[in-house]
Amino acid sequence: MRRYSIMYFISQSIKGLWRNGVMTLASIIVLMSCLVIMGSFSLIVMNLNTNLDSLGDMNEIVAFIDPEKSAEEVDSIRKAVEKYDNIKNLEFISPEEALEQEKQKYEGEYSYFFEGITSDIYPATLVITYQDNAKVETLKYDLEHTEGIYKVTCHADIAETLETVKTGIIYIFVWFLAVLFVVSVFVIINTIKLAVFGRRQEISVMRYVGATNWFIMLPFILEGVWIGLLSSGIAYFIEMSIYKFIAGVVATDYQMFTLVPFGTVQLPILLSFIGIGVVTGIIGSSISLRKNLKA
Amino acid sequence: MIEFENVTKVYPNGTLALDGVDLKINDGEFVFIVGSSGAGKSTLMKLLLREEKVTSGTIKVDEFDLSCMSNYKVPYYRRQLGVVFQDFRLFQNKTVFENISFVMRAIGETNSRIRKRVPAILNIVGLQDKMKCYPRELSGGEQQRVALARALANNPGIIIADEPTGNLDPELSFDMMNLLRRINRSKNKTVVVITHEKNLVDHFQERVIRLEDGKMVEDRVGGMFE
Repeated sequence: MRRYSIMYFISQSIKGLWRNGVMTLASIIVLMSCLVIMGSFSLIVMNLNTNLDSLGDMNEIVAFIDPEKSAEEVDSIRKAVEKYDNIKNLEFISPEEALEQEKQKYEGEYSYFFEGITSDIYPATLVITYQDNAKVETLKYDLEHTEGIYKVTCHADIAETLETVKTGIIYIFVWFLAVLFVVSVFVIINTIKLAVFGRRQEISVMRYVGATNWFIMLPFILEGVWIGLLSSGIAYFIEMSIYKFIAGVVATDYQMFTLVPFGTVQLPILLSFIGIGVVTGIIGSSISLRKNLKA
Repeated sequence: MIEFENVTKVYPNGTLALDGVDLKINDGEFVFIVGSSGAGKSTLMKLLLREEKVTSGTIKVDEFDLSCMSNYKVPYYRRQLGVVFQDFRLFQNKTVFENISFVMRAIGETNSRIRKRVPAILNIVGLQDKMKCYPRELSGGEQQRVALARALANNPGIIIADEPTGNLDPELSFDMMNLLRRINRSKNKTVVVITHEKNLVDHFQERVIRLEDGKMVEDRVGGMFE
């Protein structure tokens, strides 16, 4: 029983990658960039969805109190606001409580973000739950014109803005991704074309002695697979680093935004990177072989 | 057995390369195919290798009918053939052993069979001591013998040699042809040699098939070039 050695195919494909080092590198860089961008857009959309879900459910307004105000002044502001119409519930959050809440939100994977951070960076806030959605604009107006309150945030407004941003991002994402994938496939096609050209004498002899098309093509297809695997591996580590960096910025500077921990999405991201990387590699090499290897 | 029946080949640009050729080569025969440039020798070889398809007529090689063979069967058909080229087509970055083992591996031979068979074939062509040499370390005649060893590697029934002495000096050409004939006689292989070297053809007195303008104009056993 004749059988082909898998080690032969693997060694041939790896030799092929080395032989066309520059083109291999170009393919990996392009495909990797494509995957990083795809991953970033996916994570942005995923986080926007998570935050939109929580925001949409809240009939809340958050009023930020000027940090310059003394404890007595803060207390009088709170009492004044309590008397406003359409208030169902009012919760006062001190800077110390705000820091504690943020720490709890990011405890575990990102707890190191809060090392050395004091409560001074957080303003005191009033979290107001309102009764009637129709009268929310009046309440917002009253709060914005209250002495000592420097900023008012209404979750409904944010949700609406985020929804628009999300739609825009998805449009850009789809187009950008399509272009990048076409570029990736094109670069891989050229890499494999060079590999075929470099081995044209071997291929011609293989044909004359009766090597099957699969025997001739498999090393080139494997080259595409390696390009896909290497690109996806590198893209995954870049994505993880970028996300952890952004999570740090968001956790300290944009407290009202909650980030999905990378730990919960790492497996789907890794698997989809590998899947897309390998499939792109195979598509690129197959197209190239069809064009450059006469049957 | 190789059998051409009324074979015509017209290329897409309209060139008539072979015109109604009838030809039969039995197992174990030694045949020279001769003719001037453009006579149709290369086309005949391409048809035999199934690089090209006939325009009309039939070609049968043993159980294979090349005129209606599907592409996926071509590799299995080519395993019946051993091909020797004028320019040797050896891989310069591979040793003699690797050049031969490469073609055995290409059809899925196991390492243990390759290790046994390669020295045996090199013994036939008298190069058993050159197994670890690279082609650049060998003379032209030795390189062509490696190419012949490679053609024999997969134990084909038919050897097709396309101008095998084209790059060799007269003395080495005779050696090469002697080797081909010895293989024909001792191993009972069918040998088809395409050549335009009058001296060789006249010297060996084998069957000669002459092509002219795509037609077979002569078929003589023990023939001369003209």
